[in-house]
Formats: sequence, structure tokens, C-alpha cells
Amino acid sequence: MKQILLITDGCSNVGVSPVLAAAEAREEGITVNVVGVIDYGTIGELGSREIEDIASAGGGISQIVGTRQLAHTMQMMTRKTVVQTIQQAVNRELTQILGEKGAKTVTDLEPSQRSQVVEVIDNLTENAALQVTLLIDVSASMKPKLAAVEEGIRDLMLSLQARVGKSRLSVFHFPGRHSGEDAVMDIDWTDDPGRVRSLFGRLQTKGATPTGPAIQKVIDFYRYGTLEKQQEREGNYRIEREGMLGDNVV
Amino acid sequence: MTTLSDASFPPGTVITGKWNRSRYTIRKLLGRGANGVVFLVQRGENGKHYALKMGFDPIDLQSEINVLKSFQLQRNHEALRQSGIPSYLKDVDDYAVRGRDIPFYVMRYVRGEALHHFIRRQGTDWTLLVGLRLLQRLAQLHQAGWVFGDLKPQNVLVSDYGHVELIDYGGVTSIGRSVKQFTEWYDRGFWNAGSRTADSTYDVFAYALLMIHILEADALKSLAADGLPQLRNVNQLVLLVEKSERLSPFRGWIIEALQGRFKNADHAAKSWKELMARPTKVGRRSRRSTPRWLKNAFALSVILLIGVLIYALRF
Repeated sequence: MKQILLITDGCSNVGVSPVLAAAEAREEGITVNVVGVIDYGTIGELGSREIEDIASAGGGISQIVGTRQLAHTMQMMTRKTVVQTIQQAVNRELTQILGEKGAKTVTDLEPSQRSQVVEVIDNLTENAALQVTLLIDVSASMKPKLAAVEEGIRDLMLSLQARVGKSRLSVFHFPGRHSGEDAVMDIDWTDDPGRVRSLFGRLQTKGATPTGPAIQKVIDFYRYGTLEKQQEREGNYRIEREGMLGDNVV
Repeated sequence: MTTLSDASFPPGTVITGKWNRSRYTIRKLLGRGANGVVFLVQRGENGKHYALKMGFDPIDLQSEINVLKSFQLQRNHEALRQSGIPSYLKDVDDYAVRGRDIPFYVMRYVRGEALHHFIRRQGTDWTLLVGLRLLQRLAQLHQAGWVFGDLKPQNVLVSDYGHVELIDYGGVTSIGRSVKQFTEWYDRGFWNAGSRTADSTYDVFAYALLMIHILEADALKSLAADGLPQLRNVNQLVLLVEKSERLSPFRGWIIEALQGRFKNADHAAKSWKELMARPTKVGRRSRRSTPRWLKNAFALSVILLIGVLIYALRF
């Protein structure tokens, strides 16, 4: 199972629509969850609308919380999404087995059958392999909240580590140092909570919020495993293309 | 769409099960848990009293019911039978209302009050006894292969004479898996003191925090809220316990529990019991000595009595 957990506090303003990017992620089998984090004031109607839309397009859930509830929310959302993903798969199977006239969802089943199906869901929830990428908005207004975000990441890591199934986490932030750098990887796939320490301490933050392009970058990361492989592949592709061109010319 | 939290079920509402057709009449709201609402109900109109829990989410509630069912399957397990848990679950059904199905289950109703209310009302003198019974309950659960998980004062029900019952089984996890549900204050992970894997020491740590909470709520609150989360650790808790007057009777025990020295709840319960054998006194109240004016008045009355006796005997 693959998840992106986007943590932001406002609207995107550069590049491709984040809602489109989230829909692309879903197409790749990656669920996108969004936490809108506020302390003072509000996110604004536009911002909260976008947060909701990104999650809907990404097949995930969204919630707007203060920094105090952030860690708890991140942990709950991740778990809930795992259950949901499995539930959706189980519902599909049910329709397959029981036909159009049978139970459509787990909740249509009578209690004793439901009990068995939920046991399967519980086992999968605990045992399925899980990959979560955290995508953190570090634009200027997020700066005072980054300590809470870091605590949330540490806490999430702890919960993932306790699962029986293999669980890995990676962390990206956006925007990067210069325009054109949409997202920067902070932590590659890891299951070691010790690596989550003073992540965002020395960050130089800039104004733009390229949420959409950042999501796309993470989708590529999932597609190619690691960023290095991705760059390598991009490189090969270029060589192949150039080679092809060369052939054509000759 | 109505959700459970905004739908109101006033006393007198009759709930009819969709599958088993059993009827229950709501008498009052007993409480709200992490994944549902619990009502006091009567079977039919004026039958036996039960507690009925409606779930926010069918999967979550069913998962909790499955745990209770496993208890029933394990009813031959000595430790579980002693705890009385296997007879907890009475009925499982859906309640069809306003175009949707709300899952619910019916359980034995236990009269009592939450641990912190009980201690506040009856006095801290009860802490040792009630604490022992709670540890024994946890030990019984562990012996059957389960960890309670979400241990907090609200989930411990104490009836008169200090009888202890665990309620809300939403966090119960089989040993070796990740703890299903927890509350950060009592969570070992929150204090950077270990993993969130359900093992027999997880509940013992939560129990130690529960004791600190009941007797030193303010100090714990400020410790949890202040300071950097990555610096939060067991030593801060140990320091709090060492400084506390009210925790002094349990000081050694709690520190051992925080440091994970008890190998399981049974070991922890036995060690706790040793505290009861010693003539230690709990809390400030019982340390209060007889006031001086009372001593003086008593001495004066004795002298007067002797005087009167001598006077009476002389004639």
C-alpha cells in the first residue's frame, strides 16, 4: 500500500493543479491524504476547499487541525486509510463472490459473516506492507509549525514501526531552494525513528507554494523507487532518444 | 446524512435490532468512547438493564466485538474466567434509523464510577487496594494473550467496595501486534520510553502514568505540555515522582514501572501487593496528627476527672 500525506496550511500558487496531481497519484495506486494545519486565524475558504478537493481526488481523507492535535491526526489518518484501502479491495471481492444481488459492502453482511470479514481486514491492516511519503509545505507561514510537524513524523514512525507488516516512511518538503526545484527529499525510505531529527532546522523558505508539482515529484519517486534511479532512468531515456535521433539522421 | 454524533437518542427511544429483532429502551447516556456512544438500556420496556454501545464506524466496532467474541471462545481460560470478561457480550445487531444502519452491541451493565472520580470521592486511601485489583485485571488479560492498550481513568470503572472492571475494549490488542488505540499521556511512545508494540509491559507503563495522573494531575499536565517533545523522557517522570509527597508511598514501585523493570503485569501486581503489607500511609490527609488543643483539652479533662474522683472518695 502506498500513501502520500500532504501537510500544508494554504493554497498552492504555482504550476499544475494539486487536485489533478492527486488524481494522477490515485491512478498510480497511491492514496493522498491532506492535513491542513492552523494555529491562529483560519485557512480561508479557498484553502480549505483545496485541501478537501486534493484528498477527494486522491481517494484519501482530509482534516484541518491545530498543531497540538497534529501528531494524533497524522497517525489516525494513516491507519484509517490503510483500513479503507483494504476495505475497498474486500468490497470489490464481495461483489465478485456474491454477485450483484448479494451484499455490496462489508456492512451489508449479517453480523456473524461480518465478524469473519472484519477479522480478515484486521489481519491485513496489521500485516500488509505499507509505504508512506510525507510531503511537507515549508513556505514562510508554515515555519512556526515545523517543530510540531517534526514531532508528528517521529510519532508516526513509532506507530508504523510497531506494525507486524513491513512499513517504510520517506519525507519530502517543498518548495526547494530555487525555482524549478519543486520538492526536496529529506529522508529516503527508512524504518528507523532515529533518522527523524532536526529535519527542517536550516531551511531557507521562499514564498511560492508549488503543491501540484511537488505531488507529481513524489509520484515519480514511487514509480522509480528512488530518486537516483529516476534520474538514471531519465538520463537513459535521453540517451536512448538521442541515440534514436542519431540513427534516424544516419 | 446524519452522523452518530449529531443524531440524538433521547431516553425512551426504542431500538430494534435489524437481524435478531431484540428490543431495547434507552434510559440514559452513559458515556462517549473513542469509537462509539454507550447508553444504559432496558431489554424490552422494563426488563433487565444492559449497556448498549453504538459504533461510529462499522468496521471499528466489529473489530472490538471480535475481541469480545474471542474472550467468549477462551472462556475455559482460567485467568479470563476469573476476570468475568467472557460473559460481557450479550447481543450484536444493527439499528436501522433515518435511512442508515448503526451497528451496536449489548453488554453487561456495570454500575460504578470512573477511577479518578472514585478516588476523589472516597479518598486516596483507596489507591492501594483499587490499584492492586486493576493490576490483577490486567494480568488476567495478559495471561490470555491480550494487552488492554488504551488504559486511562475513564476506562476503569470502580464500584462500591473498590471492585474494579475494565470497560471499552476498543484498544485491546493481541500480544505482538501494534497497539490499536491509545491516549498519548499514558502511551510509552509519547514519553520516548519504548515502542507501541503490544507487550506485557505496555500496560504496566500506562498504569504508572495513570497513578501519576490521579495523584499529581497538575504536575503531569505541565510536563506533557511544556518543553520539546524530542526531549520528553522517563527521567522527567522519575524526577516528578521523586519530588511528589503524595506519590511517596508508591515511589519505588512507580519508578521501577516507568523504567520497565517489571517483566509483566503479574510481576507488577505482586510487587504492588508488597506495598500494602508495609505500614506506609497514603497522602497528606492521614499524616495529619492530633491537634494540640485537643491533646490539651484531653489532659485537662483527665486532671478534672481525677480531681473529682479524689474529691468524691474523700467524703
